[in-house]
Amino acid sequence: MIKRFSVFIYWAIMIALIALFFTNDYGVVDIHKSAIIVAVGIDPAGEEVQVTAQLALPQPSQSGENVQYKEVQGSGLTVADALNEINSKTGFYPRLQFCKLILLGEGCQQHELFRILGCFYRRNYSELTALVAMCEGKAQDMLAMPATVNPETYTAVQRVLSEELAKSANVSSVNLKDVAVSNYSESEACCMPYIQASKPGTSQSGGNGDNVGGESAGGGQGGGSSGGQSGGQGGGQGGGQGGGQSSAQSGGSSSGQSGGEGQPVDFTARKTAVFARGKFAGLLDEQQSFAYNILKNNIRLAVLPCDSEGIHYTVGLKNTTGGVKLKVKNGVPELTLKFKANAQIQGVKKVMQPEEVMYDDVVQKNVLRGAEKAVEERFDALIKMCVENDCDILGAKELLHKYNHKYWNAFRGDLLTRMKVNYDVEIISHN
Amino acid sequence: MVTLEKHIKSVKDVLTSEDIIVFEFESSKGKKFAAIYADGLADKQLIGELVAKPLKAAENDANAEDVKKLLASPEVKDCKKAKDAISEISDGNVALFIDGESDFYIIGLKNPPGRTVAEPPTQVTLKGPREGFTEDIKTNLGLVRKRLKSDKLKVKTVKCGERSDTAVALVYLDGVCAKGLPERVEKQIAAHEIDLVPDSSYISQFISGKPRSVFKRNGTSEKPDIFCAKISEGRVGLIVDGSPIALTVPYMLVEDIQAAEDYYALSYRSTITRLLRIFALIIGIFLPAIYVAAQLFKIQIIPFQLLLKVSSSVSGLPVSPSIEMFLTLFVLEVLNEASVRMPKYVGLAMSVVGALVLGDTAVKAGIISTPAIIIIAFSAICLYITPDLVETTTTLRWIYLIVAGSIGPFGIALFTAFLICYLVTEQSYGVPLMAPFAPVIKNDLYDSMVKANLYALKNRPSALRSAQKVRLKTK
Amino acid sequence: MKISVRQICFILLCYNAVSKMLLYPTVLSHYCGRDLLFAALIDFGVQAVVVWAVSFLCSRTDKTFFQLLEGTFGNIFARIIYGLFALFFIAATIVPLCEQKLYVHTIFYDTVPSLLIFLPFFFFSIYAAGKKFTNIGRSADVCMPIFVLSLIFVFSMSVLEIKWSSFMPVLKTPVKDLFGGALGTVFRFVEPCYVLMFMGHFKYKKGDAAKMTISYIGGALTVLLFLFTFYGIYGDIAQSRQFAVSKISLFFPAIDTIGRIDFIALYILEIVMLFALVLNIQLALHCVMKCTGYQNRAVLSLAVNAALIILLLVFDHGFNNLHTFYAKWMWIAFAVFANAIPVLAWTLRRKER
Repeated sequence: MIKRFSVFIYWAIMIALIALFFTNDYGVVDIHKSAIIVAVGIDPAGEEVQVTAQLALPQPSQSGENVQYKEVQGSGLTVADALNEINSKTGFYPRLQFCKLILLGEGCQQHELFRILGCFYRRNYSELTALVAMCEGKAQDMLAMPATVNPETYTAVQRVLSEELAKSANVSSVNLKDVAVSNYSESEACCMPYIQASKPGTSQSGGNGDNVGGESAGGGQGGGSSGGQSGGQGGGQGGGQGGGQSSAQSGGSSSGQSGGEGQPVDFTARKTAVFARGKFAGLLDEQQSFAYNILKNNIRLAVLPCDSEGIHYTVGLKNTTGGVKLKVKNGVPELTLKFKANAQIQGVKKVMQPEEVMYDDVVQKNVLRGAEKAVEERFDALIKMCVENDCDILGAKELLHKYNHKYWNAFRGDLLTRMKVNYDVEIISHN
Repeated sequence: MVTLEKHIKSVKDVLTSEDIIVFEFESSKGKKFAAIYADGLADKQLIGELVAKPLKAAENDANAEDVKKLLASPEVKDCKKAKDAISEISDGNVALFIDGESDFYIIGLKNPPGRTVAEPPTQVTLKGPREGFTEDIKTNLGLVRKRLKSDKLKVKTVKCGERSDTAVALVYLDGVCAKGLPERVEKQIAAHEIDLVPDSSYISQFISGKPRSVFKRNGTSEKPDIFCAKISEGRVGLIVDGSPIALTVPYMLVEDIQAAEDYYALSYRSTITRLLRIFALIIGIFLPAIYVAAQLFKIQIIPFQLLLKVSSSVSGLPVSPSIEMFLTLFVLEVLNEASVRMPKYVGLAMSVVGALVLGDTAVKAGIISTPAIIIIAFSAICLYITPDLVETTTTLRWIYLIVAGSIGPFGIALFTAFLICYLVTEQSYGVPLMAPFAPVIKNDLYDSMVKANLYALKNRPSALRSAQKVRLKTK
Repeated sequence: MKISVRQICFILLCYNAVSKMLLYPTVLSHYCGRDLLFAALIDFGVQAVVVWAVSFLCSRTDKTFFQLLEGTFGNIFARIIYGLFALFFIAATIVPLCEQKLYVHTIFYDTVPSLLIFLPFFFFSIYAAGKKFTNIGRSADVCMPIFVLSLIFVFSMSVLEIKWSSFMPVLKTPVKDLFGGALGTVFRFVEPCYVLMFMGHFKYKKGDAAKMTISYIGGALTVLLFLFTFYGIYGDIAQSRQFAVSKISLFFPAIDTIGRIDFIALYILEIVMLFALVLNIQLALHCVMKCTGYQNRAVLSLAVNAALIILLLVFDHGFNNLHTFYAKWMWIAFAVFANAIPVLAWTLRRKER
């Protein structure tokens, strides 16, 4: 009886499996029916959010890859609504598993961060590894801009947010998890790179004597004092789509988006958007971003412009260690920004004499002091920004909570204003 | 007193066919003899040399005992029943009847047409012996005896097949083989009555106990060196007349990932190749299934850049990924079957048709995609790394493909769990099929996924419950 | 003997660990935050003592638990207790079963499939549940290396992302929450019952109690290491990350290039999870057999699995409520069956070795 029954079950299973195998008709969203979203741009539009999904649409090809990238828009009260609209528009099921870039338009500054990012954070079907960045102007426009270095915008943007660039202190690259962890920490602050587009050959930098934007960019050299508001202007103002939206935040750069319709652009992400308690708190300029990056990121080689005895030097910093420490001494919280590095001169704005070249490997003390001073000035600017905007991106409150927990209740409310800030900057010659 | 005519009649009444030859001759004293043999099976020249010549020259009026002394053949057997004579004649031996004697002799002059000893095509080695079994049981037993000169080597012949009367030799080492095992095997064979046993695969099913299983229950070998090695580990070997494939029991799955060469090469190299075989086996079975499951249910498994290439290839295909893979696998199986069956001269044309017409044109026509062909081809290559398991693994590949296309990756995991659950309790003559992994037998692990050096394999596999555990002693 | 000590050790190590890698870390993070390791320690500590107690009891008698009950209280009482244990094992299966269903839906499929896709599990379950202890033991033999290899693979992909600072400040979670967490997750601990059921079915040798306890501790340490990795990676947002085992290797630097290769390891690990889940059903069936005296395994397996299918269908959309109920109330049942009864087994009349 049992044997007969098991034979029956065996055949029933086989028939069911074969039927399922050949029909595939039970709601399977297979590779033919899905759209691979590689990047998502989000722009608030009134109460709604407008989502621009950059889709990778593979085209029939017998040999190798043939993919077209298209941008599709959808809108709704939430990001999920907008994605659903994309689904209904295209007939493709939008898959977020391969979405490696979430680009927030400038308009997101007016909204609670996790109202926008919540959708990606909640879904089990999207990854927390997606890079998050804010862009100048509308995200929709930026995703539509052709890039000079890569045919696909998302790849070009991803390149400027790459880990390699983060290791040179040029960008504070973060993913969705980093944003969530920082935002939900005791510091309640997070940051993300701020992406700007510019015509090739123009600079996005705010100048300020930084090397940012490159010496060839025609702007920005000289000066040297951090936080300076003058500085050369970057690219042409407001050339591109959605261009002209200036961001007169600290650092003072007000570059517009560049490049006309269809004209390839360069992307840079040397500024940093910071958020406190889920709301936009301001932009870190290049110097502040640099200061933040050398403290928070694992740096391999950073390039620091500095002045010494009226001469401009470009110093390469290697073997760096940076970090933030908080201790409560005599009832006063003390925040120490620590930075140690080996310096190497990479460029000097003067004519080198032949006899000086043999000593080039050894960085003179006055240059080292100049470099230390430049770093401290950047720290100053960063701290000032944090305190003014009550934005604890350095994680002082978190340090207080984690390592000085007994003072937590005493200082949690006004730590940023009460704490004393020390710098421990030591730059020594590489040789 | 039985006359010669009566003897001949008793045989010819049963063996009526024309190829049964009756060779009558007389001695110089007029004594009549008749040698009856099957034409083509017995060696005529030897009949003349070893039987007829000495008997013709005999000067005395020989009785049965004298005749036996006169015969120059080393293999002479007394016989009384006509039934036995018929059986032996059919087998290729010669029955010698003497006029006036009721007894007769069976003279072992069998020389059936057959191959000479050559390297077996299914178990080619670069290093090590190259001899292979032939279809002749005597030659095969000789090849075994050549390697195992021990007095403990026992050969027990049983007959199977009502019409074919096929000889099956049970070969084992007395005192090494587990007690009662040869008797169990013999009993198992004796329990089956069948018309014809054309090949050892019939016996394989008789002794398996579970003929419906996808997994076999006995080892196979075409090489006497492997066969002897297995016997010396404590197994019972079966050599079936007419089959070049010898069987061994008990069997463990791990045997089929062991190759003869592993024991002749450096142990490190053997370990690497064994791991390679296992890896290839896993890839061969699972790759088509995982590819289909990934396309249908979980594209994330495929790396992004590869996904774009795959998507490009499959986009526009008229069939779903599962059916595409099914068709590709179907074509492979057809080509495989055809390449075995087709005459050699047509083989070249077929490979052109298979590779170019079917493969290239189908891709160009957009019926199947390039990745599907690559995957199926690679899977096929991987599975042929362990040729002894091909029947099982190709079946499993089909099952996994169906499961993956219908239930998806969870189906693959579930079916694997089911297989494990099934296999861990399956046995071959009391030895777990999954030994030495389930149950874990520490000592036997040294000759499983890894192949340790000879000194680490001092003992015979414990799983076989050999009566004599130690096989290597160093002085 | 049907099962060996080594196989029990494997069960106590890998099935113990693998059954606590889905929602357990998330729930524990929710209760205890960064002090989740301590809550887990409380549970594992208590269970380890009970496992030791039962293992040590095995050294004192050759009898099975049923025989001990029978010898002390009579056959009827023994049957009743085994009947209750059958219900207990079924109860202990429901949450992991629902959890497994959700996990399968999430990591095996890109889009949420229907419940139907999980139902083939019961074909396996019906088949496996009908098997004897020998099969359980040998399955554990196969599962152990699978478990070790796949877990090493997943761990090695995640170790770089761990941040020690996620656990600071240490032990600042209120004690009430710590014990709340320990109590709220106690329904995931049934390992002492496994040893109790295997009692008398294996040949005890000197030192086996220690081996079993150490194996259990090994499993506990694996879970603690896993919790450490999971919380070390996600910190305060850990409580919102479900199915921890599928989340920890996400940030491996090469994942963009090689794809979610960790899924392959997870699919392999799923095999062990399936066996761990089926073990409860196998033991439930064993208890039903003892209780009813009915020996047809196939029929009983069908019956037990039918009950589970019904329960799964009932709780398909009410998993949160079910989980809350278990966390709030079921600790009592688990304290009785998985802790008290195994310890009280010492009081049963036994023939000393």
